[in-house]
Amino acid sequence: MLLYHFEESMPTLRLDQWQALSPYLDQALSLNHDDRSAWLSELAERDPALAAQVSALLDEHRILAQEGFLETGPPLPLKAPGLAGQTLGPYTLISQIGQGGMGSVWLAERSDGRFERRAAVKFVSFALAGRTTEERFKREGSILGRLTHPHIAELFDAGISPDRQPYLILEYVDGTTIDQYCDEHKLDLEARLRLFLDVLAAVAHAHANLIVHRDIKPSNVLVTTGGAVKLLDFGIAKLLEGEGQTGAATWLTHEGGSAFTPQYASPEQLSGQPITTATDVYALGVLLYLLLSGRHPAGSGPHSPAELVKAVLYSEPPQASDAITADNGKLIAERRGTTPDKLRRELRGDLDTIVGKALKKNPQERYGSVTEFADDLRRYLRREPISARPDTFAYRTAKFVRRNRTVVALTATAIVLVIGSLSTGLLVANRERNVAERRFAQVRQLANKFIEIDNDIRGLPGSTKVRMQMVSDSLQYLTLLGSDVHGDKDLALEVAYAYVRVAHAQGDPTSPNLGQFAEAEASLDKAETFVDSVLKDNPRHRRGLFIAATIAHDRMTLADEQNRKQEMVSRANEASQRVERFMNLGNVDPKDVYSMGYFEMNIAYAYDDARHFEDSLRASQRALEITQPVESAQRVHGSILGAIVVARWQSGDLDGALQTAQQAIQLEETQAASGHASLRVNLANALYTEGMILGKQDAEPSLGRSRDALAALQRGLSIGEELAKMDSIDYLSRRSVATIGLEIGNILRHNEPQKALVVYDHALARIREAKTNVSTQLSAADLLAGSSYALRRVGREKEARRRIDEAFQFLRDAHQYPADTIEPMGRSDHVMRASADDYAETGQTAKAITAYQELLDKLMASKPDVQNDLRDATCISRTWTALARLLRRVGRTDEAGRFEAQRTELWNHWNGKLPNAQFLLRQSLSQVSPRAAFHSAAMH
Amino acid sequence: MGSTISSLIVATEQGDKPAAEALFAALYSELHRLAKRELARQGLPASLSATTLLHEAYLDMAARDGPSFPDRARFMGYAARVMRGLVIDHARERHAQKRGGLFEITSLDTEAMESAADHRELIQISEALDELAKVDPALAEVVDLKFFCGFSFAEIAAMRDVSERTVQRNWERARIYLHGKIRAPLSL
Repeated sequence: MLLYHFEESMPTLRLDQWQALSPYLDQALSLNHDDRSAWLSELAERDPALAAQVSALLDEHRILAQEGFLETGPPLPLKAPGLAGQTLGPYTLISQIGQGGMGSVWLAERSDGRFERRAAVKFVSFALAGRTTEERFKREGSILGRLTHPHIAELFDAGISPDRQPYLILEYVDGTTIDQYCDEHKLDLEARLRLFLDVLAAVAHAHANLIVHRDIKPSNVLVTTGGAVKLLDFGIAKLLEGEGQTGAATWLTHEGGSAFTPQYASPEQLSGQPITTATDVYALGVLLYLLLSGRHPAGSGPHSPAELVKAVLYSEPPQASDAITADNGKLIAERRGTTPDKLRRELRGDLDTIVGKALKKNPQERYGSVTEFADDLRRYLRREPISARPDTFAYRTAKFVRRNRTVVALTATAIVLVIGSLSTGLLVANRERNVAERRFAQVRQLANKFIEIDNDIRGLPGSTKVRMQMVSDSLQYLTLLGSDVHGDKDLALEVAYAYVRVAHAQGDPTSPNLGQFAEAEASLDKAETFVDSVLKDNPRHRRGLFIAATIAHDRMTLADEQNRKQEMVSRANEASQRVERFMNLGNVDPKDVYSMGYFEMNIAYAYDDARHFEDSLRASQRALEITQPVESAQRVHGSILGAIVVARWQSGDLDGALQTAQQAIQLEETQAASGHASLRVNLANALYTEGMILGKQDAEPSLGRSRDALAALQRGLSIGEELAKMDSIDYLSRRSVATIGLEIGNILRHNEPQKALVVYDHALARIREAKTNVSTQLSAADLLAGSSYALRRVGREKEARRRIDEAFQFLRDAHQYPADTIEPMGRSDHVMRASADDYAETGQTAKAITAYQELLDKLMASKPDVQNDLRDATCISRTWTALARLLRRVGRTDEAGRFEAQRTELWNHWNGKLPNAQFLLRQSLSQVSPRAAFHSAAMH
Repeated sequence: MGSTISSLIVATEQGDKPAAEALFAALYSELHRLAKRELARQGLPASLSATTLLHEAYLDMAARDGPSFPDRARFMGYAARVMRGLVIDHARERHAQKRGGLFEITSLDTEAMESAADHRELIQISEALDELAKVDPALAEVVDLKFFCGFSFAEIAAMRDVSERTVQRNWERARIYLHGKIRAPLSL
């Protein structure tokens, strides 16, 4: 069981507050430790609030000192790669003039003084080196080289240098990007359009030669001081595509500068569909939109990659004329030599239509060719009617319907984002240190980007497919990268870590479909080989040991998810060992302390799942020890206590469990007070745990203190409610509300069914608000099943059955029913039991017996450990009891007797294990009659 | 060339905002140019320290502007601020906002990247510093000089004519302010 954590944030300090506190802080910092404490106490007497604030700041200081905040300076722009003076064919490199995503760009001079003296040399990152031969590169290069046009920057040569570095030699263009040029010269609309027509002429020429640019954007469209337009990088992307590479590969080598940002990509590029001349039309449309309105169709402001992608794929851009708003309008109009109103009027109508046509999401709806595009613009300039038709209202409305289609389109994007952004300087020859630095920084970015995208698209319909695609393409990339490691330790570890991240996505437990466990294992295996290669030579390599521990931990989790309990236990042992090995290095960084504590905690939970309660407690203890010295790592304590509670509870130490639960509550209360509001969910969950232990009646092993239980649960519920109100879609608070609501409902449903229904229904409503989170949705099944009892009590029997059916449907949709085995106290158990009880209470005894029989069989098939696990014992015992009762009803007394005997034997066994335990006493009492037991429990 | 650097400094100190901007721009391009020149020299080490650059810049500009050029200490304050801008621009370029990237650093970074602020954080630091400078300019300056330019406490103390202990305290206070503004512990 993995736990997910929230981000905490410190309450931010206002400047005026700071001003007041700063001098006190200065004083405090000038004192040594002892004097400082004395000074603080004295201050606390004079002004406690002030002292508290100063104290908080001093605490912050301690943390930041530990973190080494700002100890290391930022990278300075003062490093030079060592290429100056080198020659490439007839050219000599002079100085670096830029750094694109594709690689560095250098100014070069022709040594023999012939022809054009200056050129730009672009070194190209070629992550899939080896896929393209030098010959092919040169051949393609010469095809592009034949593209001559006054407005196209010529490609002089393409080749691969002696140290296997691919390069392109291009006409050097000294100019500014077209949008900057237009703004600087304050060109009006007409002038801009005329300039744009030059761009169109260039692109049309290329298309006539069957070359698609694929990456038209302002930084590729320059204007010289003389006012001449020059397009750069025509067809480079195609040039760099290796043989038989997938779409992903193309983006790997894509132009940097804006190292392929989705901003200028067309919808078909983002969804991995074929690229045609229409793609260029789209990009030209974006460029025109920008030149006319000063804005990008997707809007201004920083966007995350995923947001941009969504915008390009699904959002209709506002009409160019509408993009001129009140706030920015003045500046934009100025740059076009006009006023906002005039500008808007000029754009409205034909220009809006022309741009709109170029920007259609569907390539077939755009201008069929760049020439058509140019023709319409020329017609506009001559004030003649244009050919494009404006969108009808119906057309625009229809667009919104498409928005919710599956996000399969994000596939290529994900690849692009994950991999494309890494193409910077990934040189084949791995000799220079700064190259190596870049490379493994990029692999790290791969790993991180992955997670970011993953988080962004999680919960979107169809995102599972996307993530799988993302995974397979990342793997492709990693395979190649991995073969290029050549003993580079740091790179090896980065690749290992990237595999770990990929494995995580593959085996994701929160995905509604079964995770790709085998594949995740395979990825972890790969990760392990890389780590081993490093640890072999250097067994105390810090990062290597860290990743090794992570791998073991993840394997354990995978085994847990697949219910392979034996394997999980051996993995847990291994993980435990590796954690120790890492910790033994000493001098562990606070962030790593947290990770290790977190791992150890999960190890504890794993042991719990396997019912190795002593091992679990040991692991929990270790987790507490590890994280104790580091303040910032202590936020995992709440969850560690949770593991302890489970271990104690299930092994029968209810008092111990309660004690720990109450400790957890205290802890969460402290943390919630000083941290972010959302942390209070942890408090709610802790209260729930306490409530459970205090307890229900015969369902769980509990102390039978229903009233106290209710109090704790109510408190937890109100916290959950509070949080749910604060954030309208947060699923964590809603899940709490659901879980706690379920328990409260279950307690109340016998005596106060009406109240119980209110609680159930409210919880159900809350769940519906968290639509996108699947595991939360499943809680609905529990609530529906639980509420059926209350419904029958108030005479709404038909509804009870209907809800049970609905609950089954939920289970079916999640592939949890029908199943061969059922986990005791699990969701399916609850629902099936509710169904069986429903039959029983509505007089359909035969059906009830069949249902309970089925339930029992499936429960037993999961191999519950009734001898050692109290929860399992309680669950099975209940089932026997229910069956026995029903069998007696129809006169099958022998069978009934057998079950009753089994039950007695079981509780005798437990009495021997835990003499004098209160709840066991109640279990024995209930042998007499279920009602009696119920009443005595209710009286506590 | 219009105003000299020294006249811009004087004007800025008198509260002339356009002059301040012009000063910033002038220093920026000077530092840039100088950096390029230093790096293009053959036979130099592969990297240059910021403090060296700033000293060179001072010598260069003082030589040009003549005896009225303000002293090194005064100059450094402005230059350090400009350096901050250079550093951030460089970081920005390297990590390319244009890539559309918002990168996050997780807890598993190696020592190299670990404590180095990433470009986003640098921008946040810069913004926070601008805020801080409104009420506590000395603190903001220490960060510029120490973090962005790499001057030592001793050097800064000499430049500002205060004790080294004072500089250290200012540094710690500034760190507290910035940390509070910027850092939130990262989640797994």
